[in-house]
Amino acid sequence: MKNFKIALMAIFSTIIISCDNNDDDTSSLTGTGTVSVTFDNGYDGNDLILDVENSENENDESLTVSRFSYIVSNFSLIDEEGNEYIFPKDDSYFIINQEEGLEDVELSDIPAGTYTTLKFGVGVDDEKYQEGGEIQEEFWELAEANNLTWSWTAGYKYINYEGTFTSETITEATDYTIHLGRLGDQVNYEEVTLNLDTNITVSDEMDSNIHLEVDASKILTAVTSIELTEKATLMTDAEKAPLIAENASEMFVVDHVHNGSGH
Amino acid sequence: MLLGFAVVKANDKQFNTIPEPCENHYHILGFDDDFCDTCGCGSSGGSMGYGTGLNDNFIGIRYIHQQYRSRDGIFNDSPWIKENFNTIQAWGNIPVSDRLLINTIVPFQFHNRIFPDNTEQHISGLGDVSILAFYNVLKVKPDSIVSIKPEHYLQIGGGLKLPTGSYDQENNEGSVNPSFQLGNGSLDYVLGLNYGFSYRNWGISTMLNYAIKTENPDNYQFGNQFNYSINAYKTYYLSNSFSVTPIAGLAGEVYGENQEYNLPVADTKGDLFLGKLSLEASLNNYSLGVVAMAPISQNLNGNKVELKNRTSIYLNINF
Repeated sequence: MKNFKIALMAIFSTIIISCDNNDDDTSSLTGTGTVSVTFDNGYDGNDLILDVENSENENDESLTVSRFSYIVSNFSLIDEEGNEYIFPKDDSYFIINQEEGLEDVELSDIPAGTYTTLKFGVGVDDEKYQEGGEIQEEFWELAEANNLTWSWTAGYKYINYEGTFTSETITEATDYTIHLGRLGDQVNYEEVTLNLDTNITVSDEMDSNIHLEVDASKILTAVTSIELTEKATLMTDAEKAPLIAENASEMFVVDHVHNGSGH
Repeated sequence: MLLGFAVVKANDKQFNTIPEPCENHYHILGFDDDFCDTCGCGSSGGSMGYGTGLNDNFIGIRYIHQQYRSRDGIFNDSPWIKENFNTIQAWGNIPVSDRLLINTIVPFQFHNRIFPDNTEQHISGLGDVSILAFYNVLKVKPDSIVSIKPEHYLQIGGGLKLPTGSYDQENNEGSVNPSFQLGNGSLDYVLGLNYGFSYRNWGISTMLNYAIKTENPDNYQFGNQFNYSINAYKTYYLSNSFSVTPIAGLAGEVYGENQEYNLPVADTKGDLFLGKLSLEASLNNYSLGVVAMAPISQNLNGNKVELKNRTSIYLNINF
Protein backbone atom coordinates (compact mmCIF):
# COMPACT_ATOMS: atom_id res chain seq x y z
CA MET A 1 0.00 0.00 0.00
CA LYS A 2 2.91 2.32 0.70
CA ASN A 3 4.03 1.87 -2.87
CA PHE A 4 0.64 2.84 -4.03
CA LYS A 5 0.69 6.05 -2.02
CA ILE A 6 4.05 6.93 -3.49
CA ALA A 7 2.74 6.23 -6.95
CA LEU A 8 -0.27 8.43 -6.33
CA MET A 9 1.90 11.29 -5.11
CA ALA A 10 4.09 10.88 -8.16
CA ILE A 11 1.08 11.12 -10.42
CA PHE A 12 -0.09 14.31 -8.71
CA SER A 13 3.33 15.86 -8.88
CA THR A 14 3.58 15.12 -12.56
CA ILE A 15 0.19 16.63 -13.18
CA ILE A 16 1.00 19.80 -11.27
CA ILE A 17 4.40 20.23 -12.87
CA SER A 18 3.18 19.53 -16.37
CA CYS A 19 0.37 22.03 -15.98
CA ASP A 20 2.64 24.85 -15.03
CA ASN A 21 3.64 25.75 -18.55
CA ASN A 22 2.44 29.27 -19.06
CA ASP A 23 4.53 29.79 -22.13
CA ASP A 24 3.98 33.10 -23.80
CA ASP A 25 5.31 32.92 -27.31
CA THR A 26 3.81 36.08 -28.74
CA SER A 27 7.28 37.09 -29.90
CA SER A 28 6.87 34.77 -32.87
CA LEU A 29 3.94 36.73 -34.32
CA THR A 30 4.31 37.20 -38.05
CA GLY A 31 2.46 38.83 -40.92
CA THR A 32 -0.49 41.17 -40.50
CA GLY A 33 -3.99 41.09 -39.06
CA THR A 34 -7.08 43.21 -38.69
CA VAL A 35 -7.97 45.20 -35.62
CA SER A 36 -11.60 46.20 -35.37
CA VAL A 37 -12.81 48.84 -32.99
CA THR A 38 -16.44 48.75 -31.85
CA PHE A 39 -17.98 52.04 -30.73
CA ASP A 40 -20.88 50.85 -28.56
CA ASN A 41 -22.92 53.97 -27.83
CA GLY A 42 -24.44 54.28 -24.39
CA TYR A 43 -25.73 56.90 -22.02
CA ASP A 44 -24.49 57.03 -18.46
CA GLY A 45 -23.99 53.27 -18.16
CA ASN A 46 -27.15 52.32 -20.01
CA ASP A 47 -27.59 51.51 -23.67
CA LEU A 48 -28.32 54.52 -25.86
CA ILE A 49 -31.73 54.01 -27.42
CA LEU A 50 -32.83 56.80 -29.72
CA ASP A 51 -36.09 58.58 -28.94
CA VAL A 52 -36.23 57.13 -25.44
CA GLU A 53 -35.70 59.46 -22.50
CA ASN A 54 -32.50 58.89 -20.54
CA SER A 55 -31.89 59.30 -16.85
CA GLU A 56 -31.18 62.80 -15.57
CA ASN A 57 -27.60 63.94 -16.05
CA GLU A 58 -25.37 65.79 -13.61
CA ASN A 59 -26.89 69.09 -14.75
CA ASP A 60 -30.36 67.86 -13.74
CA GLU A 61 -31.40 67.71 -17.38
CA SER A 62 -33.12 64.73 -19.01
CA LEU A 63 -32.24 64.14 -22.64
CA THR A 64 -34.10 62.20 -25.27
CA VAL A 65 -31.56 61.65 -28.02
CA SER A 66 -32.83 61.40 -31.58
CA ARG A 67 -29.53 61.55 -33.44
CA PHE A 68 -26.00 60.68 -32.46
CA SER A 69 -23.29 60.45 -35.09
CA TYR A 70 -19.64 61.41 -35.17
CA ILE A 71 -16.39 61.18 -37.08
CA VAL A 72 -13.43 59.25 -35.71
CA SER A 73 -10.08 59.44 -37.44
CA ASN A 74 -6.30 59.10 -37.49
CA PHE A 75 -6.09 55.74 -35.76
CA SER A 76 -2.81 54.46 -34.40
CA LEU A 77 -1.67 51.63 -32.17
CA ILE A 78 1.26 51.59 -29.78
CA ASP A 79 3.04 48.30 -29.19
CA GLU A 80 4.76 46.89 -26.11
CA GLU A 81 8.05 48.57 -27.00
CA GLY A 82 6.39 51.94 -27.39
CA ASN A 83 6.52 52.00 -31.19
CA GLU A 84 3.54 53.67 -32.77
CA TYR A 85 1.95 52.20 -35.88
CA ILE A 86 0.00 54.91 -37.67
CA PHE A 87 -2.80 53.61 -39.85
CA PRO A 88 -2.57 55.16 -43.38
CA LYS A 89 -4.12 58.61 -43.07
CA ASP A 90 -6.08 58.47 -46.31
CA ASP A 91 -7.99 55.43 -45.04
CA SER A 92 -8.26 56.58 -41.47
CA TYR A 93 -11.59 58.45 -41.44
CA PHE A 94 -14.71 56.68 -40.22
CA ILE A 95 -18.29 57.46 -39.31
CA ILE A 96 -20.18 56.15 -36.32
CA ASN A 97 -23.93 56.60 -36.62
CA GLN A 98 -26.42 55.39 -34.04
CA GLU A 99 -29.40 55.80 -36.41
CA GLU A 100 -27.79 53.62 -39.07
CA GLY A 101 -26.15 51.18 -36.70
CA LEU A 102 -22.67 52.09 -37.91
CA GLU A 103 -20.46 51.18 -34.98
CA ASP A 104 -17.41 49.33 -36.27
CA VAL A 105 -14.10 50.60 -37.55
CA GLU A 106 -11.92 48.06 -39.38
CA LEU A 107 -8.19 48.60 -39.47
CA SER A 108 -6.71 46.01 -41.80
CA ASP A 109 -3.09 45.07 -42.49
CA ILE A 110 -1.89 45.94 -39.01
CA PRO A 111 1.66 44.55 -38.59
CA ALA A 112 1.94 41.54 -36.30
CA GLY A 113 2.60 42.45 -32.71
CA THR A 114 1.24 43.02 -29.26
CA TYR A 115 -0.37 46.40 -28.76
CA THR A 116 -1.07 48.20 -25.52
CA THR A 117 -2.62 51.51 -26.55
CA LEU A 118 -5.15 52.81 -29.05
CA LYS A 119 -5.14 56.39 -30.28
CA PHE A 120 -7.59 58.20 -32.51
CA GLY A 121 -9.12 61.61 -33.02
CA VAL A 122 -12.66 62.97 -32.88
CA GLY A 123 -13.40 64.97 -35.98
CA VAL A 124 -11.22 66.09 -38.86
CA ASP A 125 -7.78 67.54 -38.23
CA ASP A 126 -6.43 70.63 -39.89
CA GLU A 127 -4.13 68.71 -42.24
CA LYS A 128 -6.99 66.74 -43.71
CA TYR A 129 -9.15 69.84 -43.98
CA GLN A 130 -6.42 71.73 -45.84
CA GLU A 131 -6.12 68.94 -48.42
CA GLY A 132 -9.09 70.40 -50.19
CA GLY A 133 -12.18 68.94 -51.72
CA GLU A 134 -11.01 66.74 -54.55
CA ILE A 135 -8.92 64.37 -52.48
CA GLN A 136 -11.58 63.77 -49.91
CA GLU A 137 -14.64 63.80 -52.09
CA GLU A 138 -15.54 60.24 -51.21
CA PHE A 139 -15.41 60.80 -47.48
CA TRP A 140 -17.23 64.11 -47.82
CA GLU A 141 -20.12 62.39 -49.56
CA LEU A 142 -20.21 59.70 -46.90
CA ALA A 143 -20.25 62.34 -44.18
CA GLU A 144 -22.97 64.23 -46.00
CA ALA A 145 -25.11 61.10 -46.14
CA ASN A 146 -24.73 60.80 -42.37
CA ASN A 147 -25.64 64.41 -41.56
CA LEU A 148 -22.08 65.27 -40.71
CA THR A 149 -21.42 68.22 -43.01
CA TRP A 150 -22.20 71.89 -43.25
CA SER A 151 -21.23 73.64 -46.44
CA TRP A 152 -17.83 72.90 -47.93
CA THR A 153 -16.25 76.06 -46.55
CA ALA A 154 -17.72 75.54 -43.12
CA GLY A 155 -16.59 71.93 -43.26
CA TYR A 156 -17.53 68.79 -41.40
CA LYS A 157 -19.69 68.33 -38.37
CA TYR A 158 -17.50 66.19 -36.12
CA ILE A 159 -20.41 65.36 -33.88
CA ASN A 160 -24.13 65.61 -34.56
CA TYR A 161 -26.01 65.20 -31.32
CA GLU A 162 -29.69 66.15 -31.38
CA GLY A 163 -32.88 65.53 -29.49
CA THR A 164 -35.05 67.07 -26.83
CA PHE A 165 -34.55 67.78 -23.17
CA THR A 166 -36.34 68.85 -20.04
CA SER A 167 -35.00 70.44 -16.90
CA GLU A 168 -36.29 71.98 -13.70
CA THR A 169 -37.16 75.22 -15.45
CA ILE A 170 -37.90 73.84 -18.91
CA THR A 171 -40.60 71.27 -18.31
CA GLU A 172 -41.84 70.96 -21.88
CA ALA A 173 -39.66 68.78 -24.12
CA THR A 174 -37.53 71.29 -26.00
CA ASP A 175 -35.24 70.67 -28.97
CA TYR A 176 -31.51 70.78 -28.50
CA THR A 177 -28.89 70.74 -31.25
CA ILE A 178 -25.20 70.15 -30.75
CA HIS A 179 -23.11 70.31 -33.89
CA LEU A 180 -19.42 70.35 -33.19
CA GLY A 181 -17.00 71.32 -35.92
CA ARG A 182 -14.34 73.67 -37.10
CA LEU A 183 -15.05 77.37 -36.57
CA GLY A 184 -12.69 79.34 -38.79
CA ASP A 185 -9.20 78.80 -37.41
CA GLN A 186 -10.52 77.09 -34.35
CA VAL A 187 -10.08 73.43 -35.32
CA ASN A 188 -11.77 71.77 -32.31
CA TYR A 189 -10.23 68.42 -33.23
CA GLU A 190 -9.35 66.36 -30.15
CA GLU A 191 -7.15 63.31 -29.73
CA VAL A 192 -8.06 60.36 -27.57
CA THR A 193 -5.55 57.94 -26.04
CA LEU A 194 -6.84 54.74 -24.48
CA ASN A 195 -4.72 52.19 -22.66
CA LEU A 196 -6.02 48.69 -23.24
CA ASP A 197 -6.72 46.77 -20.04
CA THR A 198 -5.67 43.63 -21.87
CA ASN A 199 -3.14 43.82 -24.69
CA ILE A 200 -4.25 42.84 -28.16
CA THR A 201 -2.24 40.60 -30.42
CA VAL A 202 -2.22 40.67 -34.19
CA SER A 203 -0.70 38.25 -36.70
CA ASP A 204 -1.55 36.22 -39.78
CA GLU A 205 -3.48 33.89 -37.49
CA MET A 206 -5.05 36.46 -35.21
CA ASP A 207 -7.42 39.35 -35.57
CA SER A 208 -8.48 41.35 -32.56
CA ASN A 209 -11.33 43.54 -31.48
CA ILE A 210 -11.38 46.50 -29.13
CA HIS A 211 -14.84 47.10 -27.70
CA LEU A 212 -15.35 50.69 -26.55
CA GLU A 213 -18.17 51.91 -24.40
CA VAL A 214 -19.14 55.40 -25.53
CA ASP A 215 -21.02 57.52 -23.01
CA ALA A 216 -22.94 60.22 -24.90
CA SER A 217 -23.94 61.93 -21.66
CA LYS A 218 -20.31 62.99 -21.22
CA ILE A 219 -20.61 65.51 -24.06
CA LEU A 220 -22.35 67.88 -21.66
CA THR A 221 -20.74 66.82 -18.40
CA ALA A 222 -17.29 65.21 -18.62
CA VAL A 223 -14.95 68.12 -17.87
CA THR A 224 -17.05 71.28 -18.12
CA SER A 225 -20.76 71.37 -17.39
CA ILE A 226 -22.69 72.67 -20.34
CA GLU A 227 -26.32 73.38 -19.57
CA LEU A 228 -28.88 73.15 -22.33
CA THR A 229 -31.23 75.16 -20.15
CA GLU A 230 -28.89 78.07 -20.66
CA LYS A 231 -28.50 77.53 -24.41
CA ALA A 232 -29.96 74.65 -26.38
CA THR A 233 -28.54 75.30 -29.83
CA LEU A 234 -24.78 74.92 -29.84
CA MET A 235 -23.44 75.08 -33.38
CA THR A 236 -21.20 78.06 -33.87
CA ASP A 237 -20.45 79.02 -30.32
CA ALA A 238 -16.72 79.70 -30.37
CA GLU A 239 -16.64 79.82 -26.60
CA LYS A 240 -18.37 76.53 -25.93
CA ALA A 241 -17.26 74.49 -28.94
CA PRO A 242 -13.75 73.77 -27.54
CA LEU A 243 -15.33 72.77 -24.24
CA ILE A 244 -17.70 70.37 -25.99
CA ALA A 245 -14.79 68.97 -27.97
CA GLU A 246 -12.85 68.39 -24.76
CA ASN A 247 -15.87 66.80 -23.06
CA ALA A 248 -16.49 64.53 -26.05
CA SER A 249 -12.91 63.31 -26.06
CA GLU A 250 -13.62 61.89 -22.59
CA MET A 251 -16.61 59.78 -23.61
CA PHE A 252 -14.64 56.71 -24.73
CA VAL A 253 -13.76 53.86 -22.36
CA VAL A 254 -12.36 50.44 -23.23
CA ASP A 255 -14.93 47.89 -22.09
CA HIS A 256 -13.05 44.78 -23.17
CA VAL A 257 -10.98 43.31 -25.96
CA HIS A 258 -11.18 40.06 -27.91
CA ASN A 259 -8.06 38.34 -29.05
CA GLY A 260 -7.95 35.91 -31.92
CA SER A 261 -11.52 36.45 -33.03
CA GLY A 262 -11.32 35.87 -36.70
CA HIS A 263 -9.13 34.61 -39.54
CA MET B 1 -25.70 26.42 8.01
CA LEU B 2 -28.37 26.71 10.67
CA LEU B 3 -30.70 24.77 8.50
CA GLY B 4 -28.20 22.00 8.22
CA PHE B 5 -27.83 21.61 11.92
CA ALA B 6 -31.51 21.94 12.47
CA VAL B 7 -31.97 18.89 10.35
CA VAL B 8 -29.27 17.07 12.21
CA LYS B 9 -30.80 17.78 15.56
CA ALA B 10 -34.29 16.91 14.63
CA ASN B 11 -36.02 13.80 15.75
CA ASP B 12 -33.63 12.10 18.12
CA LYS B 13 -36.15 9.49 19.07
CA GLN B 14 -35.48 7.77 15.79
CA PHE B 15 -32.60 6.12 17.59
CA ASN B 16 -35.02 3.80 19.22
CA THR B 17 -36.29 2.54 15.98
CA ILE B 18 -33.04 1.91 14.18
CA PRO B 19 -33.41 -1.37 12.44
CA GLU B 20 -30.79 -3.98 11.88
CA PRO B 21 -27.59 -2.54 10.56
CA CYS B 22 -28.35 -1.50 7.12
CA GLU B 23 -25.62 -1.63 4.59
CA ASN B 24 -27.26 1.03 2.59
CA HIS B 25 -26.70 3.43 5.35
CA TYR B 26 -23.19 3.81 4.12
CA HIS B 27 -24.03 3.57 0.51
CA ILE B 28 -26.63 5.99 -0.40
CA LEU B 29 -24.99 9.25 0.28
CA GLY B 30 -23.97 10.11 -3.20
CA PHE B 31 -25.09 13.60 -2.54
CA ASP B 32 -21.62 14.99 -2.25
CA ASP B 33 -21.80 15.36 -5.96
CA ASP B 34 -23.32 18.77 -5.70
CA PHE B 35 -21.62 20.12 -8.65
CA CYS B 36 -22.56 19.79 -12.17
CA ASP B 37 -20.32 19.31 -15.05
CA THR B 38 -22.76 21.13 -17.21
CA CYS B 39 -20.05 21.95 -19.51
CA GLY B 40 -17.13 21.98 -17.26
CA CYS B 41 -16.37 25.40 -18.43
CA GLY B 42 -15.98 28.77 -16.92
CA SER B 43 -18.67 29.99 -14.72
CA SER B 44 -21.60 28.00 -15.89
CA GLY B 45 -21.49 25.61 -13.05
CA GLY B 46 -18.77 23.81 -14.75
CA SER B 47 -17.80 22.28 -11.48
CA MET B 48 -18.27 18.67 -10.68
CA GLY B 49 -18.31 16.98 -7.40
CA TYR B 50 -16.10 14.01 -7.48
CA GLY B 51 -16.95 13.45 -3.89
CA THR B 52 -18.58 10.17 -3.36
CA GLY B 53 -19.85 10.51 0.13
CA LEU B 54 -19.06 7.44 2.07
CA ASN B 55 -17.30 4.51 0.59
CA ASP B 56 -20.20 3.61 -1.53
CA ASN B 57 -20.04 1.80 -4.78
CA PHE B 58 -22.80 2.59 -7.15
CA ILE B 59 -23.82 3.16 -10.68
CA GLY B 60 -26.60 5.50 -11.55
CA ILE B 61 -28.14 8.09 -13.72
CA ARG B 62 -28.61 11.75 -12.90
CA TYR B 63 -30.41 14.65 -14.52
CA ILE B 64 -29.25 18.19 -13.78
CA HIS B 65 -31.03 21.36 -14.78
CA GLN B 66 -29.44 24.76 -14.38
CA GLN B 67 -30.91 28.13 -15.20
CA TYR B 68 -28.69 31.07 -15.90
CA ARG B 69 -29.09 34.44 -17.49
CA SER B 70 -26.43 36.61 -19.08
CA ARG B 71 -26.35 40.15 -20.39
CA ASP B 72 -26.70 40.62 -24.11
CA GLY B 73 -24.47 43.64 -24.27
CA ILE B 74 -22.13 45.73 -22.18
CA PHE B 75 -24.56 48.14 -20.55
CA ASN B 76 -26.23 48.14 -17.16
CA ASP B 77 -29.61 47.87 -18.84
CA SER B 78 -28.61 45.49 -21.62
CA PRO B 79 -31.29 42.82 -22.02
CA TRP B 80 -30.84 39.32 -20.62
CA ILE B 81 -30.28 36.09 -22.50
CA LYS B 82 -32.02 33.16 -20.78
CA GLU B 83 -29.92 30.04 -20.62
CA ASN B 84 -30.91 26.51 -19.72
CA PHE B 85 -28.24 23.91 -19.16
CA ASN B 86 -29.45 20.32 -19.09
CA THR B 87 -27.31 17.32 -18.39
CA ILE B 88 -28.08 13.64 -18.20
CA GLN B 89 -25.19 11.67 -16.91
CA ALA B 90 -24.30 8.10 -16.24
CA TRP B 91 -22.05 7.98 -13.23
CA GLY B 92 -20.61 5.48 -10.91
CA ASN B 93 -18.07 4.51 -8.30
CA ILE B 94 -16.46 1.22 -9.14
CA PRO B 95 -14.15 -0.45 -6.64
CA VAL B 96 -10.84 -1.67 -7.95
CA SER B 97 -9.44 -2.88 -4.66
CA ASP B 98 -10.23 -2.59 -1.01
CA ARG B 99 -8.82 0.93 -0.86
CA LEU B 100 -9.09 2.15 -4.42
CA LEU B 101 -12.10 3.14 -6.43
CA ILE B 102 -12.68 4.62 -9.84
CA ASN B 103 -15.20 7.41 -10.25
CA THR B 104 -16.48 8.10 -13.71
CA ILE B 105 -19.04 10.48 -15.16
CA VAL B 106 -20.30 10.34 -18.74
CA PRO B 107 -22.51 13.36 -19.41
CA PHE B 108 -24.87 14.08 -22.25
CA GLN B 109 -25.67 17.76 -22.60
CA PHE B 110 -28.60 19.55 -24.16
CA HIS B 111 -28.54 23.29 -23.63
CA ASN B 112 -30.55 26.13 -25.03
CA ARG B 113 -30.60 29.89 -24.79
CA ILE B 114 -33.22 32.43 -25.69
CA PHE B 115 -32.05 35.79 -26.94
CA PRO B 116 -33.93 39.04 -26.28
CA ASP B 117 -35.40 38.93 -29.79
CA ASN B 118 -36.85 35.51 -28.89
CA THR B 119 -34.60 33.56 -31.22
CA GLU B 120 -33.31 30.35 -29.72
CA GLN B 121 -30.13 28.39 -29.97
CA HIS B 122 -29.81 24.72 -29.06
CA ILE B 123 -26.69 22.66 -28.64
CA SER B 124 -26.54 19.02 -27.62
CA GLY B 125 -24.12 16.16 -27.49
CA LEU B 126 -21.64 14.30 -25.36
CA GLY B 127 -20.01 16.41 -22.67
CA ASP B 128 -16.60 16.00 -21.07
CA VAL B 129 -16.12 12.51 -19.67
CA SER B 130 -14.21 12.40 -16.41
CA ILE B 131 -12.33 9.53 -14.86
CA LEU B 132 -10.87 9.80 -11.41
CA ALA B 133 -9.26 7.44 -8.96
CA PHE B 134 -9.86 7.84 -5.24
CA TYR B 135 -7.81 6.28 -2.52
CA ASN B 136 -9.51 5.55 0.80
CA VAL B 137 -7.11 6.85 3.41
CA LEU B 138 -9.67 6.39 6.15
CA LYS B 139 -12.55 4.12 5.58
CA VAL B 140 -15.84 3.54 7.33
CA LYS B 141 -16.20 -0.10 8.20
CA PRO B 142 -18.89 -1.22 5.86
CA ASP B 143 -20.26 -3.97 8.04
CA SER B 144 -20.30 -2.14 11.33
CA ILE B 145 -23.34 -1.93 13.43
CA VAL B 146 -24.44 1.66 13.67
CA SER B 147 -21.52 2.70 15.75
CA ILE B 148 -21.40 4.42 19.08
CA LYS B 149 -18.22 6.18 18.03
CA PRO B 150 -18.13 8.62 15.12
CA GLU B 151 -16.91 6.97 11.96
CA HIS B 152 -14.58 9.00 9.79
CA TYR B 153 -13.73 8.65 6.18
CA LEU B 154 -11.14 10.38 4.03
CA GLN B 155 -10.57 9.94 0.35
CA ILE B 156 -8.01 11.62 -1.84
CA GLY B 157 -7.87 11.28 -5.54
CA GLY B 158 -7.35 12.77 -8.89
CA GLY B 159 -7.86 12.19 -12.52
CA LEU B 160 -8.69 13.56 -15.88
CA LYS B 161 -11.51 15.36 -17.58
CA LEU B 162 -11.31 14.43 -21.22
CA PRO B 163 -12.12 16.77 -24.11
CA THR B 164 -14.97 14.61 -25.36
CA GLY B 165 -17.47 17.48 -25.41
CA SER B 166 -17.13 19.76 -28.37
CA TYR B 167 -16.08 23.37 -27.91
CA ASP B 168 -17.36 25.75 -30.57
CA GLN B 169 -15.59 29.08 -30.73
CA GLU B 170 -18.57 30.70 -32.40
CA ASN B 171 -20.72 30.17 -29.31
CA ASN B 172 -18.30 32.44 -27.57
CA GLU B 173 -18.65 35.41 -29.83
CA GLY B 174 -21.21 38.08 -29.24
CA SER B 175 -21.96 36.62 -25.85
CA VAL B 176 -20.75 37.40 -22.40
CA ASN B 177 -21.20 33.86 -21.11
CA PRO B 178 -18.22 31.89 -22.36
CA SER B 179 -19.63 28.69 -20.92
CA PHE B 180 -22.41 27.97 -23.37
CA GLN B 181 -20.54 24.93 -24.63
CA LEU B 182 -20.77 21.17 -24.51
CA GLY B 183 -17.23 20.92 -23.25
CA ASN B 184 -14.02 22.77 -22.53
CA GLY B 185 -12.24 21.34 -25.50
CA SER B 186 -9.24 20.82 -23.26
CA LEU B 187 -7.72 18.01 -21.29
CA ASP B 188 -8.14 19.02 -17.66
CA TYR B 189 -6.69 17.64 -14.46
CA VAL B 190 -8.66 17.24 -11.31
CA LEU B 191 -7.61 16.80 -7.71
CA GLY B 192 -10.19 15.87 -5.10
CA LEU B 193 -10.58 15.30 -1.41
CA ASN B 194 -13.60 13.99 0.48
CA TYR B 195 -13.88 13.92 4.21
CA GLY B 196 -16.78 13.20 6.49
CA PHE B 197 -17.96 11.50 9.56
CA SER B 198 -21.11 9.87 10.71
CA TYR B 199 -22.39 9.38 14.20
CA ARG B 200 -25.30 7.11 14.78
CA ASN B 201 -27.67 7.99 11.97
CA TRP B 202 -26.48 11.48 11.24
CA GLY B 203 -23.42 12.81 9.58
CA ILE B 204 -21.39 15.53 7.99
CA SER B 205 -19.67 15.27 4.66
CA THR B 206 -17.30 17.71 3.05
CA MET B 207 -15.65 17.91 -0.31
CA LEU B 208 -12.89 19.92 -1.98
CA ASN B 209 -11.74 19.69 -5.53
CA TYR B 210 -9.58 21.67 -7.85
CA ALA B 211 -9.62 21.53 -11.63
CA ILE B 212 -6.54 22.57 -13.55
CA LYS B 213 -7.56 23.51 -17.06
CA THR B 214 -5.37 23.66 -20.10
CA GLU B 215 -5.50 25.51 -23.39
CA ASN B 216 -7.79 23.98 -25.97
CA PRO B 217 -7.02 23.70 -29.70
CA ASP B 218 -8.89 26.97 -30.30
CA ASN B 219 -6.35 28.74 -28.05
CA TYR B 220 -8.97 29.26 -25.37
CA GLN B 221 -8.23 28.30 -21.81
CA PHE B 222 -10.86 28.24 -19.10
CA GLY B 223 -9.71 29.40 -15.69
CA ASN B 224 -8.90 26.91 -12.99
CA GLN B 225 -11.72 26.10 -10.69
CA PHE B 226 -11.99 25.41 -6.97
CA ASN B 227 -15.10 23.79 -5.52
CA TYR B 228 -16.06 23.02 -1.96
CA SER B 229 -19.10 21.85 -0.09
CA ILE B 230 -20.33 20.80 3.31
CA ASN B 231 -23.46 18.80 3.99
CA ALA B 232 -25.29 17.68 7.07
CA TYR B 233 -27.73 14.83 6.96
CA LYS B 234 -29.77 12.49 9.03
CA THR B 235 -31.14 9.15 8.00
CA TYR B 236 -34.54 7.99 9.14
CA TYR B 237 -35.22 4.28 8.90
CA LEU B 238 -38.82 3.73 8.14
CA SER B 239 -38.46 -0.02 7.75
CA ASN B 240 -35.72 -2.59 7.33
CA SER B 241 -35.39 -1.84 3.68
CA PHE B 242 -36.57 1.73 3.40
CA SER B 243 -34.94 4.91 4.64
CA VAL B 244 -35.17 8.60 3.99
CA THR B 245 -32.32 11.10 4.35
CA PRO B 246 -32.88 14.84 4.34
CA ILE B 247 -29.73 16.79 3.58
CA ALA B 248 -28.88 20.46 3.93
CA GLY B 249 -25.68 21.98 2.78
CA LEU B 250 -23.59 24.85 1.51
CA ALA B 251 -21.37 24.86 -1.51
CA GLY B 252 -19.06 27.24 -3.27
CA GLU B 253 -17.22 27.60 -6.52
CA VAL B 254 -14.36 29.91 -7.38
CA TYR B 255 -13.36 30.47 -10.99
CA GLY B 256 -10.07 31.79 -12.30
CA GLU B 257 -9.78 34.07 -15.28
CA ASN B 258 -10.08 32.59 -18.76
CA GLN B 259 -7.38 33.19 -21.33
CA GLU B 260 -7.40 33.57 -25.06
CA TYR B 261 -4.03 33.25 -26.80
CA ASN B 262 -2.44 33.43 -23.34
CA LEU B 263 -4.05 36.82 -22.76
CA PRO B 264 -6.67 37.32 -20.06
CA VAL B 265 -10.32 37.59 -21.08
CA ALA B 266 -12.08 40.34 -19.15
CA ASP B 267 -15.04 39.47 -16.94
CA THR B 268 -14.46 35.74 -16.78
CA LYS B 269 -13.49 35.09 -13.19
CA GLY B 270 -15.93 34.92 -10.36
CA ASP B 271 -17.36 33.08 -7.45
CA LEU B 272 -20.58 31.49 -6.40
CA PHE B 273 -21.93 30.44 -3.00
CA LEU B 274 -24.97 28.20 -2.82
CA GLY B 275 -27.40 26.75 -0.36
CA LYS B 276 -28.75 23.29 -0.85
CA LEU B 277 -31.66 21.17 0.25
CA SER B 278 -31.98 17.58 -0.76
CA LEU B 279 -33.86 14.44 0.01
CA GLU B 280 -32.79 10.90 -0.70
CA ALA B 281 -34.99 7.84 -0.38
CA SER B 282 -33.48 4.38 -0.33
CA LEU B 283 -35.19 1.09 -0.90
CA ASN B 284 -32.95 -1.95 -0.70
CA ASN B 285 -30.13 -1.20 -3.09
CA TYR B 286 -31.84 1.62 -4.89
CA SER B 287 -31.67 5.26 -3.99
CA LEU B 288 -33.63 8.08 -5.47
CA GLY B 289 -32.63 11.66 -4.75
CA VAL B 290 -33.80 15.14 -5.49
CA VAL B 291 -31.62 18.21 -5.01
CA ALA B 292 -32.43 21.90 -5.13
CA MET B 293 -29.72 24.56 -4.99
CA ALA B 294 -30.05 28.32 -4.99
CA PRO B 295 -27.36 31.00 -4.94
CA ILE B 296 -26.78 32.82 -1.66
CA SER B 297 -24.24 35.14 -3.20
CA GLN B 298 -22.61 35.32 -6.59
CA ASN B 299 -20.26 37.41 -8.63
CA LEU B 300 -19.88 35.80 -12.00
CA ASN B 301 -18.37 37.38 -15.10
CA GLY B 302 -18.47 40.90 -13.68
CA ASN B 303 -22.11 40.29 -12.70
CA LYS B 304 -22.99 39.86 -16.35
CA VAL B 305 -23.90 36.23 -15.75
CA GLU B 306 -26.30 35.09 -13.04
CA LEU B 307 -27.21 31.66 -11.82
CA LYS B 308 -30.90 31.38 -11.04
CA ASN B 309 -31.05 27.84 -9.66
CA ARG B 310 -29.95 24.25 -10.02
CA THR B 311 -32.04 21.18 -9.58
CA SER B 312 -31.24 17.56 -10.05
CA ILE B 313 -32.73 14.13 -9.68
CA TYR B 314 -30.85 10.84 -9.59
CA LEU B 315 -31.39 7.13 -9.33
CA ASN B 316 -28.52 4.98 -8.15
CA ILE B 317 -28.03 1.28 -7.69
CA ASN B 318 -25.69 0.56 -4.82
CA PHE B 319 -23.58 -2.53 -4.64
